[in-house]
Formats: sequence, structure tokens, C-alpha cells
Amino acid sequence: MKITGKVWKYGDDVNTDVIFPGKYTYTIKERSEMAKVALEDLDPEFTKNAAPGDIIVGGKNWGCGSSREQAVSCLKERGLGAIIAKGFARIYYRNCLNEGLPIIVSPEAVDAIEAGEDVTVDFDRGKIVTKKGEFAFPPYPDFVRGLIEDGGLIPHVKKSLGLK
Amino acid sequence: MGKTMIEKIIERASGKQVKVGDRVWCHMDLSTARDFGGANCTEQFDKVTDKKGLVWDPDKIAFTFDLQAPAHSEGVAKNQKTIRDFAKRQGISKVFDINWGIGQHVLLENGLVKPGDVILGTDSHMNLLGAVGAFATGVGNTDIVASWFKGTNWFRVPESMKITATGTFGKGVCMRDYLTYLVGRLGADGMSFRSVEFDGPVIENANLAERITLCSMVTEMDGKIGLILPNGEVLDWLRSRAGEEVIERTKMITPDADATYVSHMTVDVSSLEPLASCPDAPDNVKPVREVAGTPINQVHIGSCSNGRFEDIAAAFDILKAGGFTVSPSVRTIITPSTREVMTRCAEAGMIQKFLEAGVVFTNPTCSLCTAEHYGVLPSGDVGVSTTNRNFIGKVGKGSNTYLMSPMSAMAAAVRGVITDPRDLLR
Repeated sequence: MKITGKVWKYGDDVNTDVIFPGKYTYTIKERSEMAKVALEDLDPEFTKNAAPGDIIVGGKNWGCGSSREQAVSCLKERGLGAIIAKGFARIYYRNCLNEGLPIIVSPEAVDAIEAGEDVTVDFDRGKIVTKKGEFAFPPYPDFVRGLIEDGGLIPHVKKSLGLK
Repeated sequence: MGKTMIEKIIERASGKQVKVGDRVWCHMDLSTARDFGGANCTEQFDKVTDKKGLVWDPDKIAFTFDLQAPAHSEGVAKNQKTIRDFAKRQGISKVFDINWGIGQHVLLENGLVKPGDVILGTDSHMNLLGAVGAFATGVGNTDIVASWFKGTNWFRVPESMKITATGTFGKGVCMRDYLTYLVGRLGADGMSFRSVEFDGPVIENANLAERITLCSMVTEMDGKIGLILPNGEVLDWLRSRAGEEVIERTKMITPDADATYVSHMTVDVSSLEPLASCPDAPDNVKPVREVAGTPINQVHIGSCSNGRFEDIAAAFDILKAGGFTVSPSVRTIITPSTREVMTRCAEAGMIQKFLEAGVVFTNPTCSLCTAEHYGVLPSGDVGVSTTNRNFIGKVGKGSNTYLMSPMSAMAAAVRGVITDPRDLLR
């Protein structure tokens, strides 16, 4: 799998309240509606203009704060290609695996990538291709890959129980 | 080689010998959801099972209504009803409705948490249950739903760090200041994915409220869990609530002397002073005296971090030192964490005094942890709060919040500006 998209670049410790505002957690239940307010309090330009396949590049501890899964759902539904960050907050990391949103930890790539450039993520070769060169990233651990290949945690659990 | 607390807990839950880095399936002792997020879980479970699915064990699921209780809008009311209906249909009796208080605290008081338990919840501060040696963690709705099929979920065995506290708190300084110190020193990702064991004489002598405070903000350092081995009065209390088994469980999770830690730091709390997390991040820490004099509009005392009886009593002592009046220019709101805490406050005669002083004393809830609650701040207002997050706009777009201890917060309420509580205790 290979994706190419325009980069939206942000800093460290971006929290889930600015990715998906708390005031919407009851009023918005449809995933398509969630997508429309993604990053509203962080970057209204993203909310207006992000296109399917685009890539978010963040600093350390992306997705800290509240455990709300909508902070991943809204980006997945928006068609985001991947998030590349220096690191992810642990609950957000799990939620990404569960939603099937590709996430990559690569501090070197984050430092090299500029906002607005087109970046390609080549999952088969484990490479991020940027203007300033290629950066290797390690594959997901086998255990995590097993979850992803089954389509996420719930399909994985259902499969192990022999449920359709 | 010896085992850490988290390794022992995961070995019990997985039935396997584990080492750091292993990913293993664990049995849940409890899988919970609150009103905020709970309806997403029940609707998702119904969706992926065509509304025919049965949860694995109705006795091991609990719902707590704590964030928006009582419901303040039709949307919230509808979601709460969705949860109640699901619980009834599934035979789930542990529904702690709007009259109970903050979920983790209610679970503790009802004897549903034992040392060594593995517990899931939709609240990112579930891990405060590490205060009694349980491994509890906040997760998204998918993780909760997945666990309802057969009571399992997976975890990576984390590296452990140890933080030892020695010395004695000075006047006007408390566990919250020690916690704030740690958040400032380690930073927002300073415990990244790790289990943390808190120990030392300060911890061994700490009451349950203080232990809860300390463990409640591990998430604000991206930690997986902060664990304290129950002892003394806390262990006695736990036994009275959760039964004799807690004694055996405490032995079971006691870390081995030769367990491996990636780091070990020691802090002498005697040298600490009142601290504040300044806008707009918990790790933006400064001494209260450095921001003293800052005008404020609202003070809030409560939350899963500092909403226990002892926290409210500490605020009461500052109010007393300040002549039993809060500044008329400040809206002061106190929210006990549970009904039990509120009852104790009433019995101690504190509630009447607070009301006479001009405080709004509310029913037990999570209160001003989000902008989805009464008391939200208008744009331009500055708040002081004992909650655990002050991210930009968290309790109202365009507002800013300083986080600090109940003593410091009440000192601000009395004077109408941020105030070092030691100024009132002289």
C-alpha cells in the first residue's frame, strides 16, 4: 500500500479536545458529521479544506487528553491517509489501531517535512518519501499487524470466537 | 529476575508468565462506561451484533453517570436513557445513575475495585484506581465493546519507573503540589506508555484521597498507570468495602526487591511550595507566588483529582482562615466527588458554612472538567480549578484556567486574585 497526500503540520501535545471538541460528543453521532468538524479548534483551514489522502504531521504526544474515539473517527471519516508524529499518546494510539487509521512514529521525518508539501508513505517498503529524502519506519509489531489484517479489534475478537 | 507490580497484575489477568514488551490477552475484572461515551459503546455493541449480542458477564459491567448529571439537554437525556435501556435488556444491575457521583470513586466506595484488578473505562482518568493497586485504564468505545464479547482485551506489558517521595509537606503544601511538581518536571509525555510505582514514606502515610490525587494525573504525563501498594488505613478501608480478598491480592501484587525499573527518582517534598499549572497546559508549571495577584473570575474545587472529603476540608480550613467569606467578584463552585463525600461534608457542618460564605455547592459530578457542564466560562474569563486539564478552551472557548490545589484554589476565591495559601495561614 502506498499513499501520497498534502501535509498539514502541527506541534507537540495536540490534545483530543482540539481534534474533536467535547461540545459535539453528544450532538454529533454520525461519522460523516464528525468529519465536518475535525480539528475545528486547532486549524479551521484543515476543517474547511482537508482532502482525502492528506497526511497530518504532528510533534510528540499527538492525541493526548480525553479518551474520546471521535478524535480518531472524525479524521478516518475525513479520509485522512495517515498521521506521522514524533510520538502518540497511548489511548489515541489504541484508538487509531481500532479505527484502522495508519499511524507512523518517525521523529526524523517530522523534522524534515514542511507544511504543505506532498509526502508519500510506502507501507510495503516501510519508507516515508519527502522533499528532503526518504525516512525508514519500522513495521507494526506482529501482534498489532494481526489485528489490522483482521480489520480491527472487534472483527479480530469475533473471528477468534467464531462469530460472523 | 523479579517482577514489578504491573507485571504481576498482567500475569494474573493473562494466566501467563510475561516480560516487558509482550502483548497478551487479559481477562477484565470490570469493563465500565460513563454517561459521556457510554451510549456510543452500547450503540456500537448493538450494531456489531445486530442487536442480538449478549455481554459476557452482566455482573462485570458497570455504568456510571457522572459527567452530565442530571442531564442538561435533550441530547444528553436521550443518551442516558439509551444506556439505561441497554443495561436493563442485558441484565446489568450496576448502573450508578445521576445521584451517585464520579465513576471511579463510586466503584471504589462500592467495593468493586481490588488490588490487582484489570478494569476498563471510557474515562481517560480511570487509572486513578491505581491508588489501590488496580490496573485501570481509559480507552475508546471500540476497546470497551470488544471486551464485552468475552471479557478480554490486550495489553503490552509496559516498562516500569519508580518515584519515591520523602520528607514532609510544609504548611499550605499538599499532595496536589507534589503531583503538579512531577507534571512540570516530567512533562506531558514524561511517563510515555509506562507503569509508575509511587512509594516512599510520604506515600505510605498518605490517605486514600491523597493517593487518588497522585494517581489521577498519570494520564497527563502519558503514563499507562500509576500504582500504589495498599497499606495501613487505606488497606483497612479497602477491606471493609471490597472484602478479605484484598489482603491476599495486596500480597500478590507486591513488587519483588529485584524487579527492574527503567528509572528511579526520589523527591523530597519538604522543599516544595504551592504550585500551579498555568494556561494552557498541565505541564506549564510555576509557583503560585509567581502568578499571585492575577485577577480571576471563577474558582472550581472538585473533580476526580481533588473532590474527596479531605480536599474539601482543606479548602474549608482556608476559607476559615480567610474569615468565612469568598470574594464577591469571584464565582466559587464546590463539587464533591460522590454522594458519600457530600454526606460527610453535610455531617461535618461544612456545607452550611460554604453556602453562607457565598459558595455554590453542587451535587456530586465531574463538574467543570469539560465545557459540557453548568458553570462553563465565557470567552475572556480566567478560572482557577482543581481539575486535571487546562487545555485551551477546555471549559469554554476563549477562557483560560490555572490548575492548583484545593488550598490554593480557595485562597484565590477568598482574595479574588491568585493567592499563595500560605499568605492566609500566617
